[in-house]
Amino acid sequence: MKFIRKVLSTSLLFAMSASMASADAPEEVTVGYLNLVNAQLVTKSLGLVQKEMPGVKINYIKVGGGGDMLRAIAGDQIDFGGLGNPPTAIGVTRDLPITGIMVLNMLDYVEAMAVRTSANIKKLEDLKGKTIAAPFGSTTHYLLLNALNDEGINPASMKIIDLRPNDIALAWSRGDIDAAWFWEPALGKVLKDDGNLFMTSGIMAARGYPTWDVGVVMNRFAKKHPEYVEKFVRAECAGIDYWLNNPVKTAAIIADELELSLEDATRMMKGTEMVPCAKQLTQQYIGTSNKKGQFVDTLISTATFLKDQKRLPKVPSRETFETFLDASYLEAVSK
Amino acid sequence: MNNLAESQTQRRPSQTLKPTGRVKLFVRKQIDSKRHLSVMTILFLFFAWWLVTSMGWANPLFLPSPAAVADSFLEVSLEGYQGSTLLEHIGTSLYRILFAFFMACLVGIPLGIMMGISHSFHQVFNPVIEFYRPLPPLGLYTLLVMWLGIGETSKLALLFLSGLPGIIIATIQAVSDINPNYVRAARSVGAKRWDLIREVYLPGAGPTILTGMRISLGFIYTVLVAAEIVAATAGIGWMIWDAAKFLLSDVVIMGLIVLGITGMLLDLTLKIFGRILMPWTAVKKM
Repeated sequence: MKFIRKVLSTSLLFAMSASMASADAPEEVTVGYLNLVNAQLVTKSLGLVQKEMPGVKINYIKVGGGGDMLRAIAGDQIDFGGLGNPPTAIGVTRDLPITGIMVLNMLDYVEAMAVRTSANIKKLEDLKGKTIAAPFGSTTHYLLLNALNDEGINPASMKIIDLRPNDIALAWSRGDIDAAWFWEPALGKVLKDDGNLFMTSGIMAARGYPTWDVGVVMNRFAKKHPEYVEKFVRAECAGIDYWLNNPVKTAAIIADELELSLEDATRMMKGTEMVPCAKQLTQQYIGTSNKKGQFVDTLISTATFLKDQKRLPKVPSRETFETFLDASYLEAVSK
Repeated sequence: MNNLAESQTQRRPSQTLKPTGRVKLFVRKQIDSKRHLSVMTILFLFFAWWLVTSMGWANPLFLPSPAAVADSFLEVSLEGYQGSTLLEHIGTSLYRILFAFFMACLVGIPLGIMMGISHSFHQVFNPVIEFYRPLPPLGLYTLLVMWLGIGETSKLALLFLSGLPGIIIATIQAVSDINPNYVRAARSVGAKRWDLIREVYLPGAGPTILTGMRISLGFIYTVLVAAEIVAATAGIGWMIWDAAKFLLSDVVIMGLIVLGITGMLLDLTLKIFGRILMPWTAVKKM
C-alpha cells in the first residue's frame, strides 16, 4: 500500500513537473525584423512584445533583406521573422520549418523603382543598355522581372545587378547605376539625389502582382510555446492599431527608429499599408483556418515565376502553402 | 619524410655513380606510399557523405546527396546558372584571381626585395603594410566600393590587396635570410647593386618567395566570395552567394568543390613553375 502510494505520488510529481515545463516561458525570444517601414518598428519602440511577455528577454535583430532572413531562418538564429512573398515561396518550397502567422504590411510606393532624372528614362524600353539594381530574391527583383516580362522586354538587354538597399544608395551617389527597384528608407536618399519615382509596387499590385511581407514563426518555437506565438501576434496587432490610430506619433517613432526627418517618415508611412488584424482574416489576405485567402494564390504564382527563372526546383502544391499559413493565432487574438 | 628526401639528395651526389636516377626512385616511392593514404581519405569522406545522406541522417537542405550535387554540376555545366555556364563562371573568377595575383607579384616581389635590402625602405613601407594586413576584407571592401565603384576595379583591388602582404613579408624574409657571405663574395668580384639583386638575392630568395606566392594565392582565393558579393553577375563566388540566397545548397556545395579543385590545380601549377625556374629546389618542393 505504502509502495503504491509512493509510486502514485512520484508519478504525479513527474506529471506535474512535465506539464509545468511545457507551460514554461521561453528564456528569450529573438525577433528578426526587416529593415523597412512597417508597424514592427512601432511594436519594437513601444516595447509591446515585452509587455506581453514579462520576464522574457526580447532580442531584436535588424535584417537587411529576404535573402539574409532566409539564411537566419535556415541557421536557426531567430524565433520570429518577416519575409516578402518571393523569399516566403523559396523558404516553403525548400521545406524551411516556418509558419506564416500574420500580415506585416502590404507594399505600395514604400517600394519603388527610381530612375536617374538625367538618364532620361520615360518607359521600360528605355532601360535597355542601362544598369539596374535590385536585391535578388526580394519582392522588388520579382516585380522588376515581371514588369519587363509583361512588356516583352528581354532582361538580358540590360545589366541587372544584385545590390542590397544600402549599397544601392551608395552606388547611386557614385553614378554607377541608372535605375533601381528597392525600398525605404534607402529609397528616400536616392529620390533626393537626381532620382525620379518611375514605378511603384502599388502599381504592380493593381496589375495583379501584389507584394507583401508576412510574419513567420519557427515551427520549433510554435510547437514548444504556442501561447507565446499568440502573445507575439497580439503585440504586433497592437502595433498595427497604434499605427492606424496615431499617425502623427507613429511618424515620430519611425523618424526616431530610422534616423529620418519627420517629413520623410510621414511620406514613407503612406507608402505602405497596414492591415488591421481582424481584416487579415478576410479572403483578400490570409483568410481563416477553414478557408485560406488570396495569399495562397500569390505564393503559388510567385513560386511558379521563380521556377521559370530556375531559382526553384519545383512548385509545391496548393496544400503546402495552405498549411504554411496558420490563421489560428490571428483568430484567437481577434476574438 | 621531406627531410629524409632532402638529406638524401644532398648526400647522394658524392656517394653514388648515378645519383639522380636513384634519388628520383627513392622519392617516388615515398610519394606513392603516401598517396594511397590521401586517396583513402577522399574515398572515406565520399563514403561518409553518401552514407549520411542516403540514410536520411542529414536534412537535404543543409547536406544534399552526392548525386544531387553531381546533377547540379551537370546542369550548370551544360545549361548554365543564371546566364553563364560553369566554365564561364570559372573563367570570370580565374581572370579576377590571376590578374590580382599577377599584380600582387609584380608589386610585392620588387617591393619586398627593396625592403629586405634597404633598412630605410623597410621603415617607410612597413607601417602601411602592418596596418592594413589584419583588416577584415569586407571592411576594406566597403571603402573600396565607395572609392572605386561597384564594377570590376573594386573587386580586383580587394583581391590584389589581400594577396599583397603575404608576398611582401615572405620576400623580405627570403632576402634577409640570405647568407651575407654570398653578398660579400659577389661584391669582392665587383658586383653592383643590380648585379646583386639578379645574381644573388633573386636566386637565393627564390624558394621562399615561391612559398610566399603560394600563400598569397591562397589568401586571394579565400576572399573571392566576398569580392563577388557586391554587384557581380558571374563568377564562382557569386554563384555560391546567389545560390545560397535561394537555398540551392546543391549548387553551393558544387561551387565549393569546384573552387577547391581549381585552387589545388593553381597551387600545383605554381609548384611546377617553381621546379622549372629553380631546378635545385625540385626535390624539396615535392
